[in-house]
Amino acid sequence: MAPIRDKFTIHSKAIVCQDVELKGDITIGAGTIVHPKATIFAIAGPIVIGTGCIIEEGAIIVNRRKEVMRIGDDNLFEIGCRVESPTVGNFNTISTRARVHHTVRISSYCVIGAGCLVVPTEDEILDEYTVIYGPAGERRTWSGRGKVQEADLRKKHADYLKDMLPKFNRLRRGDGT
Amino acid sequence: MPPGVEYYCPCLSSTPHPPPSSLASSLYSFHPLHSLFFCEECDAVRCNRCVMVEVSGYYCPNCLFEVPSASVRAEKNRCARNCFMCPNCQNTLTVVASDPPDNGETRTSPIVLSAVGEPPFFLYCNHCRWDSAEVDMTFEKPTGLAAQLQKFEDSAPEALEFERLKEHFEPFLPAASSALARDIPGVVKYNPLTRSRSGRDRAAAKSEIPDYRARVEAGSSHGLASGSGGEVDVDFMKHLETAGEVASLEQRWVNSWTTSLHANDLKPLRIPLHSKKSKRCPSCRHILIKPEQKAQSVRFKIKLVAANYLPAITVSLPHARAAMEMIKRSSALNKSTSTAVAEEHAAAASGAMIAGKTYPFHLAFTNPLYDPIQVRLHVQRTLTPSSADGKQKAPFAVTLPSSAFPIAAFAEAWEYEDDEDMFGDEGDYDGARGTKDRDGRARPRTVGVLERRANVTVVGGEVVLGKEARGNIKFNMLVTYTYRSDDPEPENDDPTATPSKRGTQDKQPQMKTFSFYTVVELGNIIRREESKVDMDP
Repeated sequence: MAPIRDKFTIHSKAIVCQDVELKGDITIGAGTIVHPKATIFAIAGPIVIGTGCIIEEGAIIVNRRKEVMRIGDDNLFEIGCRVESPTVGNFNTISTRARVHHTVRISSYCVIGAGCLVVPTEDEILDEYTVIYGPAGERRTWSGRGKVQEADLRKKHADYLKDMLPKFNRLRRGDGT
Repeated sequence: MPPGVEYYCPCLSSTPHPPPSSLASSLYSFHPLHSLFFCEECDAVRCNRCVMVEVSGYYCPNCLFEVPSASVRAEKNRCARNCFMCPNCQNTLTVVASDPPDNGETRTSPIVLSAVGEPPFFLYCNHCRWDSAEVDMTFEKPTGLAAQLQKFEDSAPEALEFERLKEHFEPFLPAASSALARDIPGVVKYNPLTRSRSGRDRAAAKSEIPDYRARVEAGSSHGLASGSGGEVDVDFMKHLETAGEVASLEQRWVNSWTTSLHANDLKPLRIPLHSKKSKRCPSCRHILIKPEQKAQSVRFKIKLVAANYLPAITVSLPHARAAMEMIKRSSALNKSTSTAVAEEHAAAASGAMIAGKTYPFHLAFTNPLYDPIQVRLHVQRTLTPSSADGKQKAPFAVTLPSSAFPIAAFAEAWEYEDDEDMFGDEGDYDGARGTKDRDGRARPRTVGVLERRANVTVVGGEVVLGKEARGNIKFNMLVTYTYRSDDPEPENDDPTATPSKRGTQDKQPQMKTFSFYTVVELGNIIRREESKVDMDP
C-alpha cells in the first residue's frame, strides 16, 4: 500500500484548528470551520470540502475509496458523527453521533438525526429534504418550510465561530506538505 | 443477565420468607434498592406495589406550569398554554415564523429577518421536521395559540356530538353525582328526590329516557367513521402504497376517540399533563415520599427511601472482570469501533460460569447509617423438586462467611484525615482470619472479609456448581444487621425521678436488629461442552 502523502489545500479564509487530525489529500474551501479534535482522513482518495461548512469536535470524515469525496457548502457535521458518504450536497445537517455509510450519497437539505445509523447494504441516494430521525431511523420528507431561516442561522453560526474560535484555539495555517 | 442483587419486599404478606427464586413468579417480589422505601414507624420495607399513592399536583412537562386541580378537569388533562406534541414523533412543537418572501438575491446578500418573524406562524417539530402547515393549521399571532385553536376544536364534529350527548343525559342523572355518592355507594337510595316517587314511577322513569338521535349518522362517509372500520377505511387500506400512509398505533391511541387512519390527518395534540405523586405506607399511613410543590424542582420534602436505611449490596465476579479487562486491552490494540456489539457478547460469554467448577464472587456492602453495623448472612435453603430418580440434587452450593462482620459508619469524604483511612489498608486482609491461614490449613482465602475501606466492606463467597447444573444461579440470602439506635427508651412516668436520672436513661444505646431478604444473581451456567467458545470479537 502506497504511503499516504499529505497535501492540504486550506483556503486562507477557512479556520482550521491546530488539534485536527488531517491525513491525505484534503481541500478545504473558504469560510469552513473545523473545530479542534475533528478527524479528516483521506486514506485512499482525496476529500474536497466546500465553503461555509462547520465540522465540530469528534466528527470523523473518512474516504476509503479511490474516488474523490466531495462535500458541498454550508453543511453541519455535529459532534461525534461519522461520515463516509462519497457525495454530500449543500445545507445538510448530520447530527450528533450519527453514522453514514459509504454506500449512501446525500443530496441537499437533508437532516440525519442524532444517533441515527444510515447503513444500507446497497447503494442508495437520499433525496433532497429527507429527514432521518428516531432510534429506528425512520424517514420522512421535509416540506422545506423554514429553510431560509435555517440557512440564516447556519451563516450566523459560522460567523460567530469565525470570531470566537481563533481567540481560544491555535490555528493551523497554510499547506502541510 | 448481569450479576446483581435485588431486595425482597414482603408487601404485607403473612409470611416474611420470600418465595424460592427458581420460580418465575418470584421476580415480582424482588426490587432493586433504589426503588424501595422504608417506613420508620413500622420498621418495614415498602415497595411501589404495596405503597399508597396520591396525586400531589399536576404540571405540564413542557412549560413546567403547575396546573390547579380545578383546571385539570376543565382542560381535560392537557396543557392549556402553547404546548403541543408532534403527532409524528411525540416531541414538543415550537412556534415558528414562515420564511420571508424570496427576493431572488438570498445567496449573495445576508438575509435580514425581523426579530418577530413574519406571519403566518405554524408549529414545527425540530426532531422530525414535521410542521402544522401540512394539516393546514396556521396562526396569525405567535402567542395565545390555545385561544386560536379553541374555535377549531369546539366546532369539530366530535366535540359537538359530545356536547349533545351531555345535554341529553343531564336531566336523568340523579343528584347523586355529588362527591358524597362517589365515596359511599349506598347513598343514592336515600336521596330525597328519588324517595318521593313511588316504586311504579321509578320504573317508569327509567324507561322514559328518550332514544338519543345523533347529529350525524354513525358509519356515514362524512369522515366521522374514519378509524372505526367502516367502508371508507377498507377502501383506503386496499389502495395503500406505502406503510407510512397509515397512522401508527402510538400516534393514534392518545386521542380520546377514534380518529382517521391517514397519517396525513394527524393533528398536533396538546401535551398531556404529568402528575407529582406522594406515597404513603399502607399500614400506618405515614408519608414516605412527598415531592416539592414546584414543578421544576426534583427534590422531595420527605424522602424515606430504603437506601438510607439498608446497606447497599453489589455483587461482582472477579473472573468476569479479569476477562473483560483482557478483551478491552485487545480491542484497544485493534482500534475497531464496529466490534462493540461483539465485545459485549464475548464479555457475556466469558462471565458465564462453566458447570462443574467453583467460582468465587465478591459482595460489597455499603453502610448508609452514621453508626457502624454488624452484618450476618444466611443462605436460604431452596427445596428443589426431586428429580426422576428420587434424589434431590441441588444445582449449586453457596458458601458465605458465617460470622458477623462489621461495616464502618458513613462519614463525609472530608472527615477522613488522609487517603489511607478512606481507601483502607491494602495489606490488612482478613484480620483475625489470616492467622488461621498461616497455620497451613486448607481454608480458602476467598471466603470471608476481603477488604474494608470507608463505609464499604467487601466479603467473598464461593459457589460450587454441580456437574449437571444449568440455568441461572440465583439464591435468596437473608441479611441481618444490628446497629445502635438513637431512640431513647420510653421514660418512666415517675414524678420523683430527677432530670439528671432521666438524662442518663436516655443515653443508653439500644441495639436494634433488622433483617431483610435479598436475591443474589450471579449469572448463567454454560455446560461443559459449550465452554470451548472462541473469543474472537
